[in-house]
Amino acid sequence: MYMFKYIMKRLGLLLMTFVIIEIICFVLIKALPIVIDIQVGKDRDIIDAQLRARGYYDPIPVQFWNYIVRIFTKGDFGICLNLPEHRNHPVLEVFSSKLPPTILINIYSSLVSVPIGIMLGIFAALRKNKWQDQVISTSVMVFISVPSFVYAFLVQFIFCFLLGWFPLLMKSGYDYFSWPMFQSMIPAVISMSFGSIAGYTRYTRAELTEVLTNDYMLLARTKGLTKAQATTRHALRNAMVPIFPSIIGEFIGVLSGSLIIEKIFSIPGIGGLYLTSINSMDYDSFMFLSGFYILVGLLASLVIDISYGIIDPRIRMGAK
Amino acid sequence: MTGKKLLLVSSALMLLASCGGNPESSTSSVAPASTDSSNSSTSASSDSSEATSSSSSTIVENKTYTYNIYTTVSPSNWNELTYQDNNDTQIMNYLAGGFFSYNYKFDEKGKIIPGQYDVQYGAIAKAEDVTLTYAGEDGWAVPLDAESGYAYEFTIRDDIKWDDGTAVKAEDFVYTMKQQLDPLFKNYRADSFYNNSLVIHNAYDYVMQGTVGFFGSRTLYGKYSADLDDKLVFHVGAPLEENDPYDGGTSYIYDWLAGNGDDYVAAIAKAGFAATVNAAYGANYLSTEAEQALEGKTYAEIKADATLTAYFQEFYDFWIEDPETGILDFFVTSYTFPEMDFSKVGLFADTVNPLKFTLVLDNSIQLFKEDGKTLSYHAAYDFGSLPLVKKDLYEANKHEPAIEGGLWTSTYNSSVASSASWGPYKLTSFQAGKEYVLERNENWYGYNMPEYRGQYMTDRIVCQTIPEYETAFLAFRSGDIDGIGLDVSVAADYKNSKRAVFTADDYVTSMQLQSDAAALKGRESEGIDKEILTYIDFRKAISVGFNRAEYTNKCTTSSLPGYGLFNSMHYYDVENGGVYRNEDVAKKTLCDVYGVDVNAFDSLDEAYASLDGGNNLTLARSLVTSAYNQALADEKISATDKVELVLGAAVDNVSTRRTYDYINGAIKEICVGTPLEGRIEVVFDTSWGTKWANDFRAGAYDICTGGWTGAAWNPGYFLMAYLDKAYAYAQGWDTEKATLTFNPYGDGNADHEYTMSLMAWWRCLNGKVKSSDPYQENWSDGFVDNEIRLNIIAALEGEILKHYYSVPIANAFTAELISYKIEYASRDYNTFMTYGGIRYMTYNYDDAAWAAVKGTFDYKL
Repeated sequence: MYMFKYIMKRLGLLLMTFVIIEIICFVLIKALPIVIDIQVGKDRDIIDAQLRARGYYDPIPVQFWNYIVRIFTKGDFGICLNLPEHRNHPVLEVFSSKLPPTILINIYSSLVSVPIGIMLGIFAALRKNKWQDQVISTSVMVFISVPSFVYAFLVQFIFCFLLGWFPLLMKSGYDYFSWPMFQSMIPAVISMSFGSIAGYTRYTRAELTEVLTNDYMLLARTKGLTKAQATTRHALRNAMVPIFPSIIGEFIGVLSGSLIIEKIFSIPGIGGLYLTSINSMDYDSFMFLSGFYILVGLLASLVIDISYGIIDPRIRMGAK
Repeated sequence: MTGKKLLLVSSALMLLASCGGNPESSTSSVAPASTDSSNSSTSASSDSSEATSSSSSTIVENKTYTYNIYTTVSPSNWNELTYQDNNDTQIMNYLAGGFFSYNYKFDEKGKIIPGQYDVQYGAIAKAEDVTLTYAGEDGWAVPLDAESGYAYEFTIRDDIKWDDGTAVKAEDFVYTMKQQLDPLFKNYRADSFYNNSLVIHNAYDYVMQGTVGFFGSRTLYGKYSADLDDKLVFHVGAPLEENDPYDGGTSYIYDWLAGNGDDYVAAIAKAGFAATVNAAYGANYLSTEAEQALEGKTYAEIKADATLTAYFQEFYDFWIEDPETGILDFFVTSYTFPEMDFSKVGLFADTVNPLKFTLVLDNSIQLFKEDGKTLSYHAAYDFGSLPLVKKDLYEANKHEPAIEGGLWTSTYNSSVASSASWGPYKLTSFQAGKEYVLERNENWYGYNMPEYRGQYMTDRIVCQTIPEYETAFLAFRSGDIDGIGLDVSVAADYKNSKRAVFTADDYVTSMQLQSDAAALKGRESEGIDKEILTYIDFRKAISVGFNRAEYTNKCTTSSLPGYGLFNSMHYYDVENGGVYRNEDVAKKTLCDVYGVDVNAFDSLDEAYASLDGGNNLTLARSLVTSAYNQALADEKISATDKVELVLGAAVDNVSTRRTYDYINGAIKEICVGTPLEGRIEVVFDTSWGTKWANDFRAGAYDICTGGWTGAAWNPGYFLMAYLDKAYAYAQGWDTEKATLTFNPYGDGNADHEYTMSLMAWWRCLNGKVKSSDPYQENWSDGFVDNEIRLNIIAALEGEILKHYYSVPIANAFTAELISYKIEYASRDYNTFMTYGGIRYMTYNYDDAAWAAVKGTFDYKL
């Protein structure tokens, strides 16, 4: 019951926060001057008429009201006016067509990097200060320090161009679960995984190392548990309290995609769409994407908070 | 538990995948090439094969030829009525047929004659000049004495079909034009038919019909007359966001000041017009009291009140431009464009012959040469085609306005399902941001024409979107794409390749120097000076001291030094192959601008050749010293001030930073040995993004590199890019007031010497003279000898260059590598045919043969 009340309260606050941030975004973007770039021979009247008819010259509150009414009465989030590659296309259609490849690539990457990262972290923690730990820790520092696009170019050059194991680019089409499509995604998945694996390894090693030195671990061993049993049942579970939310956070983060990786492997995903919408001052796509990411961010924080209670029964959200 | 989680993840993936599912996926599969690699045609050794008139190749059955290309930005809207940029034309050009087209000219042996061209009929079977039928007739704007060029009857071929086999009739072109000009849509390309070379009668009025609002009185009436007094409403302020009584309508004088940038717009909105003028010009020209008293009053009311008349005089004295039009500059007028039936527009179908339609223009364009039979270059240039949409598909893709009073929109030609083709290829697959595929349209009329026999060897065109150049280059080396531009980063290794193709471009890169004195002053700070840029000697020093040869070597792949606004790609006389830059008057202009003494050389050509990319540092440094001393005397700079100029760019990448480094070094070099040595710095600022050009025009920073491309066959028209406030980078230079005295006839006759503003010269040169202009001459194409037009273009070019706001530095050349799979018709670039395009492209390998060898070539050789 405490949890239910807590969630309801958080949802209410979430909604209020969402509305406030949306209004701020709308006002700020509309407060910017409208850029009209007239090419030689173009008639400014036509462009002005287009903008006027779209309500761009109306007072901002009127524009906001029209925007809200449009969404709630027609489910119309607008049409991309300036967004390169998507001019004249409905915002919702653009978003929904670009989301799947981004999510797939990132989920594949998480599915690879989470178990490998955690296992390497556990192994390094259990071999603390031995050569295995040194090798892993040094590798981790290297992979964390080098940006992912460097791996991407190396992976592309070595595995795709020189060895020819994979296609240079992601396959076109919408058959996202076919083998050729999966094969074409592998280079991008590998490139994205290096950094994540290193991150999880470092985090897990740090947490587990700390837990392993606690008194209750000694108690567990004196109760007769083997080292493996003590580690699995007690150390790992406690170490996962801060790690698990970061995994959830990463799953939610996949929705934003990776701008550089998507460009290098020609993935028609959502990475960079938000930035492009700002640069091209495409109001409707900016507002939709802002709303989406704000909502995702707020929900993520709620889910992560709730997850603490699931992982560690001692944590009770909302209880006094 | 784990199983449930996995199930949830799988379900989510399926759901998201189906969200992104696209009905087009069903059409994306293409039949595999059933080719026999052992039958592959020619070897890959030929790099000079040329097409012949008869048959450059023959289409061999059972072989598939795919042209693989890439784009960094995928097209999104290839609707002829609304497309916005060149990305969209990638697909559009393949889906549309053409009325007339250029072709190579061949000798009697069937070999291409370099540099020459023919014009041939395409979708038009017969064309007839019917100007005499409409000359002086009511309802049209064809002059009474016009004999040709204003009206044409076209008969289209009877075998024109859409890709689904539906026949195309003349009425379809009329329907499309009606949609193009539909006032409910105000389509982006509507102005192509009233604001460019082809002005269809009543096209503008049809688009604007029903538009109600306040408009600048000068725009509406052009010339003042007393009967307008009641309609003229004084309004020099900014449009108000809320409850604006003028609904955004602004007077000419407001636009004139607001055209200088957003800062003025904001200032006028805040403090009013008078205060803004006074602040900008440093004097009490106008009083706010007068502005407030006059605002909203009609001219009749002002005339009736002595106080108001005195107030008005204050404004008018400040402005006085032209007694007849100057008054109108302060007023707006409420106006409603009247309703109009499309039958009054100059495009209509024949009532008897379903294949015939008539086009009536407001301007004269000669479809035929002087013999009245042979097609002129205008046929393919101006009458290349009219837009055509497939009626049923277009109607099905119309969308109602999202808000009341908004505009209708159309998603025609934005997906496979909404696309139709009457051109040589049809769209069979499209995935935004990823790939599109075009395949041969078997219903294209051209395949029935002897002129195209043996051409169009390409069966499929596959274009992938690859945003990263490095990835694209790997794809090229792997044989996955058949052509790639040469980036400066790889140019050294590949520019001597047998497969490298270099092409002159009409684009001229210029250094744009800030012309807005107030903006420069406004951005100065303690110890930092920018006003040195207002001194013409300083700007000239940058121009004459800049080492263009070194710049193009270090910063570009293959560009050449540029000195003029035009280069070897600009034709002033297309019909006779007259390249502007090759003419003596054009060469002499540059010699004058860059201080080359022609008399010191044996010939003008030698004098012109002496420019040769070199920099005159001696002259440049003396000019810097002169400018500095003058600025010191004017107290614009102190003896301890440093000069800091901001070079702006849209992005910070290797290319822009390389350019910045060079310009910074070059300007410092120019100042060595002058009082500014060690006191000048160019700062790099890449925060401007896509607004860089507008921000520069608004005076936000000091230097940018930019230029213009387009209208290469009409340099006289193209001068507007430098003169017209709507486009020019030099917003602080008033070309309506800067004058030029000149005799365009070059005959020494004093009656032929004219003095008028640069914009007035431009209007006379382009047949757009205003009643307020001091001379009503029409020196547009076809109305005077080309030599006279040439003289005017050269004089205006010289005048623009001598102000040194635009400093040309490079004539662009593009460099590309083409794969061994394909061959162009000719390696000699032809401005009309380029390299023959897809029409004449031939293949050394079919798809199957290419798959076996594609990654084995070394393109450095």
